[in-house]
Amino acid sequence: MLEVKDLAVSHKKKLAIKNLNFKVDNGEILGFIGADGAGKSSALNAIAGVIRFDGEISYNEFSYKSPKEAQKVKHDIGYMPQGIGLVLYKTLTIKEHLDFFTDIRDIKIDKEFLEYKKNLLSMAGLEKFLDRRAGDLSGGMMQKLSLVCTMLHRPKLLILDEPTTGVDPLSRIELWEILQQSAKEFNTISIISTAYMGEASKMDNILLFDEGEIIARGNSEQLIEEIKPFVYDKIETDKKSITISNTTYCLENLENQHQEPTLESLFFVNALKKDRLLPKLQIAKSKESIDKNVVVMKATKITKKFGDFYANRDVDCELKSGEILGLLGANGAGKTTFIKMLLGLLPLDGGELELFDKKIKSSDDRNKLKSQIGYVSQHFALYDDMTVRENMMFFASIHKIETLKAIKLIDNYSKELGFEKYLDEMPKSLPLGINQRFSLAVSILHEPKVLFLDEPTSGVDAIARAQFWELLKELKNKRGISILITTHYMSEAEFCDRVVLLKDGEKIADNSVENFYKEFPDAKSFEEIFLEYFR
Amino acid sequence: MRLRIVKAYFIKEMIELIRTKMIMMPYLMPLLIVILFGYGIKMQVTGVRTLILDNDNSQISRKMILKFEHSKYFTTTVENMSEKDALREMKKANIDAIIIIPSSFEKNSLKGVKTEIGVFIDASFPSRSTTISNYIQGVVMDLANDFNIDSRGVININTRNLFNQALRDEEMIVPGLIGMVLLISPAILTALIIAREKEEGTIFNFYSSSVSKGEFLVAKLSAIFFLVSIAIFVIFLVASYLFDLPFRGSFFLFWLASELYVFVALGFGLLVSIISSSQIIAIIVTLMLTILPAFMYSGMIMPISSMSGEAFITAHIYPVMYYNHIIYDTFLIGQGFNSPTIISYLLLLFGYGIVLFILGLLLLKKEIK
Repeated sequence: MLEVKDLAVSHKKKLAIKNLNFKVDNGEILGFIGADGAGKSSALNAIAGVIRFDGEISYNEFSYKSPKEAQKVKHDIGYMPQGIGLVLYKTLTIKEHLDFFTDIRDIKIDKEFLEYKKNLLSMAGLEKFLDRRAGDLSGGMMQKLSLVCTMLHRPKLLILDEPTTGVDPLSRIELWEILQQSAKEFNTISIISTAYMGEASKMDNILLFDEGEIIARGNSEQLIEEIKPFVYDKIETDKKSITISNTTYCLENLENQHQEPTLESLFFVNALKKDRLLPKLQIAKSKESIDKNVVVMKATKITKKFGDFYANRDVDCELKSGEILGLLGANGAGKTTFIKMLLGLLPLDGGELELFDKKIKSSDDRNKLKSQIGYVSQHFALYDDMTVRENMMFFASIHKIETLKAIKLIDNYSKELGFEKYLDEMPKSLPLGINQRFSLAVSILHEPKVLFLDEPTSGVDAIARAQFWELLKELKNKRGISILITTHYMSEAEFCDRVVLLKDGEKIADNSVENFYKEFPDAKSFEEIFLEYFR
Repeated sequence: MRLRIVKAYFIKEMIELIRTKMIMMPYLMPLLIVILFGYGIKMQVTGVRTLILDNDNSQISRKMILKFEHSKYFTTTVENMSEKDALREMKKANIDAIIIIPSSFEKNSLKGVKTEIGVFIDASFPSRSTTISNYIQGVVMDLANDFNIDSRGVININTRNLFNQALRDEEMIVPGLIGMVLLISPAILTALIIAREKEEGTIFNFYSSSVSKGEFLVAKLSAIFFLVSIAIFVIFLVASYLFDLPFRGSFFLFWLASELYVFVALGFGLLVSIISSSQIIAIIVTLMLTILPAFMYSGMIMPISSMSGEAFITAHIYPVMYYNHIIYDTFLIGQGFNSPTIISYLLLLFGYGIVLFILGLLLLKKEIK
């Protein structure tokens, strides 16, 4: 049993968490959810004994008040910190990782262990790639390998900080099976933070964090029951409320139909309770008229090979103006490779690419079109030692936008995208959600006609994600910008006009979201449709 | 101490060093430094304390004394003493050069009869003594020109170098360079492989596991220690064959002192890696802490005995001086274990390493800053 008493952690004299009290039983899976910077990671760091803290943590008969005292329980702990592939050595192969962790965890190598290891590997789907280096793995595979390494010594206390961020739904289900099995079989205590509410709903207990405190606890049904009275179908109202997509959240009584809430609704209701209303994000309409149904990007039989391995094979894809196209697939299915080829960051090994009706054959053809294309990468390519404003000025000058015009643009976008008050701060000190919006602003400074977004919402909390999608819809409706986006949140697929599914580098489906639902009338969510294709 | 953990880390470091090609560093960097500096360093000299014994006392000899007195390169005294007394002065290190003008120097040289100026130079710093000898020749040649004497045929300068008769720069510079590179490359490598784990986040594997601080440090340091131990032999071979250095002392002493010294260097790198959060900071701090002091206080370009005040103290605080003393002995002198100074310096190096290691052990924390 694990008991946390009056836990507090401070970062540079600022309290990250305070007065944390909770208990976890053996075999229980406890979930941490909450916005970025709510204190989840600090709490996990403290329990794992890798950061200084106040208060007391008791694990079985041991109790510790500092990282030093935690040394005696480290043998039982398996900790996976936040960050994709953070604990992996990029130049070591999967097999070398396993050997290394077996040794440093001082695991006795017997038949039982070998069996267990084989089991873990096959569940994670890594046994075929034993000789591949960690640096060459896709984000999802890295996460799976990290998890395998963390669980290799059969920890009795498993602490995982967003282990599934950037991992595709299929792999997430597999990971989840590993976790549940371990909880059941070895009576493991698992403490897991997650940004996927689908996962949170499977946990035995959930703690909702906000500003360093636990503001709600219980299992998923209890938590949802609590907020039921505040969730309505979309409606216009003068009362304090938040409307996102087709749902309105309001603490006061509205004359409207109630809606069945999800765990994500928790975040919005909490924002209302804390009086943090969301700024209305609106983008000025473009002056030019928007032509719909013009093909802006056409890929024919695009192929990319790495050695013998096909990252993309004969992929056909079309993007029309004013369309949001979602590119979905498991980790390593070739989504990022595909976007990189469209951008010219990787040369084509076969096939043809047309952008704005022009065949792209050389980098010269592409350079003329650069001004029409915007891109947000998986890792937001911003400069950490320049303020948001300086970053934007820099990118504006790259695109040869006049200074005066740039200042005006930055002013406009920071207001429209709601990061005005952060303009003079460093990107590193800002929540991921803000960075994401400001990356988006950077990518549309030069008024491109097409936007390529590679997993822009990974690791971003529910509210920021919802706002981001509102923005994308605005861009599409008011500017007629075509958007190609990859994501691992299946719930986001529903916001797309059309969805392309990639599997092992090949396209296996390409249809509008309605048609997908027509094809699978039993599916309750897009996640289920996705799994139909990939099982 | 669980050997299994040390072994696992050792193998992991080796694989990483090989695949990132960093493994070349302990070999390439010292070679580069030794070759570049070993061939490249020549030093200028001013204010050479010169004693002139004028046995001629003629117009030309007085003119010559005047020329030396007017040169900024020489601080001249003219005295009437025997050659023997003059040499005694040099042994006391009171003068750097002695110039002896023979009697009837004027008569002979004007007649075109061969005559010889005797020059003694303190060559314990060879580069310095070559320079001094060149300057003296310059002055004499200048003088000969003034009097229309064919300096080549008539005036012969008979130079004798005392204390380092072969007079080669390499013999002075290269052993000093060994002391420099064996400090820099292990220190940087150590700082790097620990700072890299911090930068990339893999340090969490250490933080969150039961691996103890001692196990972690021994594992990390032993990998570098192993690589640099091989480098010691490579550098020795380069010094002996490429620069054709003599080796008069005991090889065992050379090896022992070098290993101890590398141990100290590892300690330096360790401390730097504990305070720096990224690889780039680790490199810069290590370079600042090692390269300049190793060069300045090694006794390579300036004898420690001629330093004063803070410089003297700093030179004694840095371990470089002690190691260099031993290295010069093994290459040039060969007193070896018979010298109590050398024994005490060996112990000093060992103590130095132990202190740094313990300090590292105390300062290293298994927690996020």
